[in-house]
Amino acid sequence: MKNSMKRYLIGFIAGIVILIISYASVMTFVKNPEIVNLPYYTFRSLFRITIAYVLSLAFGLSFGILASTNKKFSAIITPTFDIFQSIPILGYFPAAIMIIIAVIPGMIGLELASIFLLFTSMVWAIFFGVVGAAKSIPINILDAAKSYGIKGFQFIRHVMIPAIMPAIIAGSFLAWCDGWFFMIAAEYITYAGQVQSLPGLGSFLAKSAFLYNDTTSSITVLVLVTFLVLFINYMTWHRLTEKVSGYAPLIKMGFFGIPVNKKFKKRRLSLQFKFRHNIFPKSIMKVYSINQRIISFIVVIAIFILAIFFIMRKIPTIEVIKKSLFVPEIVNLPMYVLFTLSRLTIAYLIALVIAIFMGILAAEKKKFAMIFYPLYDIGQAVPILALFPILFIYFSQTLGGRLGLEVTAITMLVLDMIWYIFLNITVAVKNMPKETKEVSKIYGFKGIERIRHIILPAILPAIVTGSILAWGTGWNTVIFSEYMSSGKEVLSIPGLGSFLDKQGYQEGNTILLIFLLFIISSIVILMEKFVWRKLLKKTEKYELEA
Amino acid sequence: MALLEVKNITKSFINSKKILVLKNISFDANEDEFLAIVGSSGCGKSTLLRIIAGVETPDSGNVLFHGKPILAPTLEITMVFQHFGLLPWKTVLENIELPLEIHGLGLRERGRRAMHFVKDVGLKDFKDTYPYGLSGGMKQRVGIARALALGPEILLMDEPFSSLDALTAETLRKEVLDIWNDKSNVTNTFIMVTHSIEEAVFMADRVLVLSARPGRIIANIKIDIPRPREKYERDKRLFKYVDEIKRLITNNIALFNKVQKII
Repeated sequence: MKNSMKRYLIGFIAGIVILIISYASVMTFVKNPEIVNLPYYTFRSLFRITIAYVLSLAFGLSFGILASTNKKFSAIITPTFDIFQSIPILGYFPAAIMIIIAVIPGMIGLELASIFLLFTSMVWAIFFGVVGAAKSIPINILDAAKSYGIKGFQFIRHVMIPAIMPAIIAGSFLAWCDGWFFMIAAEYITYAGQVQSLPGLGSFLAKSAFLYNDTTSSITVLVLVTFLVLFINYMTWHRLTEKVSGYAPLIKMGFFGIPVNKKFKKRRLSLQFKFRHNIFPKSIMKVYSINQRIISFIVVIAIFILAIFFIMRKIPTIEVIKKSLFVPEIVNLPMYVLFTLSRLTIAYLIALVIAIFMGILAAEKKKFAMIFYPLYDIGQAVPILALFPILFIYFSQTLGGRLGLEVTAITMLVLDMIWYIFLNITVAVKNMPKETKEVSKIYGFKGIERIRHIILPAILPAIVTGSILAWGTGWNTVIFSEYMSSGKEVLSIPGLGSFLDKQGYQEGNTILLIFLLFIISSIVILMEKFVWRKLLKKTEKYELEA
Repeated sequence: MALLEVKNITKSFINSKKILVLKNISFDANEDEFLAIVGSSGCGKSTLLRIIAGVETPDSGNVLFHGKPILAPTLEITMVFQHFGLLPWKTVLENIELPLEIHGLGLRERGRRAMHFVKDVGLKDFKDTYPYGLSGGMKQRVGIARALALGPEILLMDEPFSSLDALTAETLRKEVLDIWNDKSNVTNTFIMVTHSIEEAVFMADRVLVLSARPGRIIANIKIDIPRPREKYERDKRLFKYVDEIKRLITNNIALFNKVQKII
């Protein structure tokens, strides 16, 4: 215990020192008119994310506990939140900005809108983490609690909270990462056709790439941000996991995935593996009754109608709805859907193939694990959306504007999707029953045969889980990257995302926006029903025990 | 009046369709008695125990304890679980202390009591260990200590040795019998559910035999073997009882005649 505390302190001080030195050198050597503000921007971004996190924690925790202790409440709230979760956040962000600005105009309104965006990106991870963990408290523990008369507040204190603590931390970690992910979208906002930037690291990255054409400082600062994110992750969430896991064996690892202690060599799994695995069990898809579905849809629609009412200050007439929906571009909608779906599919397939190879290699070969785990750690810490300006500047200079944007979008999607699949696959291979692995050894399965007959069937559920997550985050990325508004120019490639962004950010057409969101949600739900659920059903027949 | 009277209990579960689990179960448990309930798996014997513990409510019928119906879990009847039911985030000592704390025992007294029972089950050196660091046998010892620490009148055990290896189970069985025999303990009435007929015969004063689902009581057999039973582990009489019960459970045709003869 003392030893780990010492290591922690050394890590902490070393990290701070490295951060100070890097900040100082970046500020001296990088030529950028705004570089002096870097510490201030860091503070502002951190502050924004922290506030959003605290709000999400309070909301997610209280509603999560309420939903898992009160059945009636849960029957309505859980499916409703599930619908909200399935809608890409960046889709309704334009509408949210309009509403918030309408109530509180000016910079404060913008600031609140960005906190709202971050909040919605964070809260579901915590809420569903809590609900999932509370549901999976072993029945024998619940029985014991019941028979010893542990109930009410005592139950929450002695059974519920400790049982869901790992999930709270895991959810918090995810939420925190999501906060960084959306940072640039929350700070570099297009509103009513104009770019508004809030002081912060995200807007700095965007401005230096777009306005000053200064990719050097953009890349330098991105590296710095990545280190900052990694450092904070290690100092907070990883540390907390270690603490909370005092009563159960924890897979430990050192900085950047390299084991500190030889003893842990065998158990070299990144902490995040544990994290993500905990809150995204295989049963990621929830089952609701038809009544629940209907009620939750009504609740969601009511909220949207309220939103429209807020913006328009009156209930829209049929005429207004017609006019908003039948814009000339609407005829292209099927084509847009097709384009966006192909973009997602291409990126997904690339990510899938790479992730399968990486995942299996990392789980089976130590040499590769030494490379891939740290890569995973870093890949996770890079705020993907913040790569956008840098990638775009690079690709548009080499390939030209449109094609550059196209390649940027797909590259970002791949980088974004790959880790979800990789993680789930590695964990699944690691968790394969020893006996199954030994069977392949004893009967001489090797190479492709082994992968085809032993490994792939075993990891199929994990692939499905990873794929659902990858597509979920992919929608946000695609909405973000099909449309580029740099402040100097606007460039877009045809697709559902750019259509949505244009209608939302330029035209302020809330009704069409909601219609498009409805289409996206339907695609998400249909894919779940006809692709993922089918695949999972297949795997359930021969489910392996972990 | 018997200490515990189970009267006409019927229970069914609804799981896509209604499944009748227990049908018209009636029996008594007397003070100082070691009662075993055996039956094949899925016959509802665990459900029966959970009803007695007050964790589950029957569809009809009731359980009387000192002549009063049990409606909710009571401190006078505690339970040992097949899969232990320990809280993984509490140490051995904390696991035993928690029910005492919940029921308002002061810091000193609960510490003293928990310590007493930790020693009793031979886990003094492991008192600050978390459950994951314990073997199955040790975990079950904690489960037993936790149940006894409340000083209940009746101890319920749901397949307490089923998730243990054979040798550990054997040792623990003898330990449980010693605890039951120890008259300085306030807990002297044990009711155990098991699917091991040998175990039931070896340990119990009386064995209730349950039919396959829906569970009904098909025999109520007094085990007339002197104690301590260790001496009679290879005794003919013991095997006779075992064979008898085995026949009862497996042989469906002879079932009703046997019931007539024995009761």
